[in-house]
Amino acid sequence: MPATDTGSTPGAALELAPGLAPEPTVSYQLRVDGARHQVHGAWLGASLLSVLRDTLDLTTVKDACEQGRCGSCSVLLDGRLVASCTVLAADAEDAEVTSVAGLRPSGPARAVAAAFVREGAVQCGYCTPGMVVAVTDLLARRPDADDGEVREALSGNICRCTGYGRILAAVRAVQDERAGR
Amino acid sequence: MTGVATMRRPRSLSEAIDTLAASPGADLLAGGTDLVPALRTGARPVREMISLRRIVELRARGAAGDWLTIGACATYADLAGWSLAPGLAATARSVGSPQIRNTGTVGGALGTASPRGDLLTFLVAADAGVVVTGPVGQRQLGIGRFLADRHGPDELVTAVKLARPCGPQTYLKIGARQTASIPVASCALVVDRVRRLVRCAIGGVASRPVRALAAEDHVAETADWSTGALPPDAAHRFGELVAEAVTTAPDVAGDDVYAPAAYRSHAAGVLARRAAARCLAGARGADARRP
Ligand SMILES: Cc1cc2nc3c(=O)[nH]c(=O)nc-3n(C[C@H](O)[C@H](O)[C@H](O)COP(=O)(O)OP(=O)(O)OC[C@H]3O[C@@H](n4cnc5c(N)ncnc54)[C@H](O)[C@@H]3O)c2cc1C
Ligand code: FES
Ligand code: FES
Repeated sequence: MPATDTGSTPGAALELAPGLAPEPTVSYQLRVDGARHQVHGAWLGASLLSVLRDTLDLTTVKDACEQGRCGSCSVLLDGRLVASCTVLAADAEDAEVTSVAGLRPSGPARAVAAAFVREGAVQCGYCTPGMVVAVTDLLARRPDADDGEVREALSGNICRCTGYGRILAAVRAVQDERAGR
Repeated sequence: MTGVATMRRPRSLSEAIDTLAASPGADLLAGGTDLVPALRTGARPVREMISLRRIVELRARGAAGDWLTIGACATYADLAGWSLAPGLAATARSVGSPQIRNTGTVGGALGTASPRGDLLTFLVAADAGVVVTGPVGQRQLGIGRFLADRHGPDELVTAVKLARPCGPQTYLKIGARQTASIPVASCALVVDRVRRLVRCAIGGVASRPVRALAAEDHVAETADWSTGALPPDAAHRFGELVAEAVTTAPDVAGDDVYAPAAYRSHAAGVLARRAAARCLAGARGADARRP
């Protein structure tokens, strides 16, 4: 269940008992999918996930566990696959954030997304954006990854619907396609 | 600390130390895999924060003489393929998921010092040194000492030091699932064929990793050090002694939601036997260097 309350309402400071400091806020820029965004007065403790979704309205990044365990919030941070709920947004200031929407069209991303649809690897679709980021990251680095490597690379992305068989089939289909098989 | 908490982003170690000296006790932020979820749930309050991500010198890892040095901001992914440190690499591969290994750092693991932290267990078996740095310079503590005393409010962990391996080493763990799962029990085994000794630490069973000293002595006395092989009955006894070390550890964990205490000590013994089979199989087992 996506949580929308980030605990980041700056106005809440008004209701604090006297003597309590207001929740600290910060302003900074984020570069997401090639576009610059100004973030004003966000809660200092906010995760990259909550700022992407709740402040910048970039809801292609999904929110499920907020504990780094499910991978639905996966993005690339300076090209490395991360769970955006474990990254502090204010610390991503000078980094390049890439969501599923910003993956390079010259890489495997389009083929991966198409194969997911074709092979039935999308059911409720909630894990899909994170999965597509993780698969694209893997195939860009290891185009010939074997089954074990694919499973290992996706072990941080949980899917409650497909049982993973269709997802593995989609990855294999992309590999075959790209190898001209 | 004065004013409302804010975010500092030093670009060098000396800048970080000055920043920390100006607000001692500020939260150091490395990968954020422990800190960010804790801020979100309110388990930790938001305070002044000093990010270490931009300090390139803290990410270095290298070998000089008999020592390996690993910068505090090295991630698990940075270590997972390091051929000079096979036990450390095996430990790093066992942590979290690809996302967590790309983010979580050595310094963060020491900062959190979770009793179940995989890295801590390996560092205890490796008898590692922890380098902490503050305004008056740097000092090195043994890992046991660090876990007992931690570091001062104006200091940060800057590196970990390990002796260059002199024999096979491995790290084995049992968790609820293979990935992103803290260990119910884990075992780090480091063999030193030059000094003819082993060190074995068990994680997940007490408030800190437990060294199995009697079990270590048993291996030192019964192994054939010309080949590096441990006879099967000695390996069996090694497992029993490790299980005993767990049951008699001073602050052993009781039954909890993850496992009954009896399962933990049993599992520790089984893991230790398996680790011995990998690392003490004799000359033919030399490939155990790369578990
Ligand atoms: C889904 C998930 C799965 C995980 N799986 C495992 C697992 O299998 N095994 C395991 O052992 N751990 C696991 N962890 C825990 C975690 O990844 C590690 O503890 C990690 O090493 C923390 O590093 P970090 O850089 O993210 O730390 P941060 O969250 O940035 O910091 C953690 C703490 O250390 C302090 N700190 C950071 N750097 C320093 C420094 N240089 N000097 C002093 N203090 C410092 C911070 O102030 C903070 O208190 C998991 C975490 C998650 C979210
Ligand atoms: S929401 Fe980030 S990993 Fe689950
Ligand atoms: S398709 Fe529903 S969670 Fe994966």
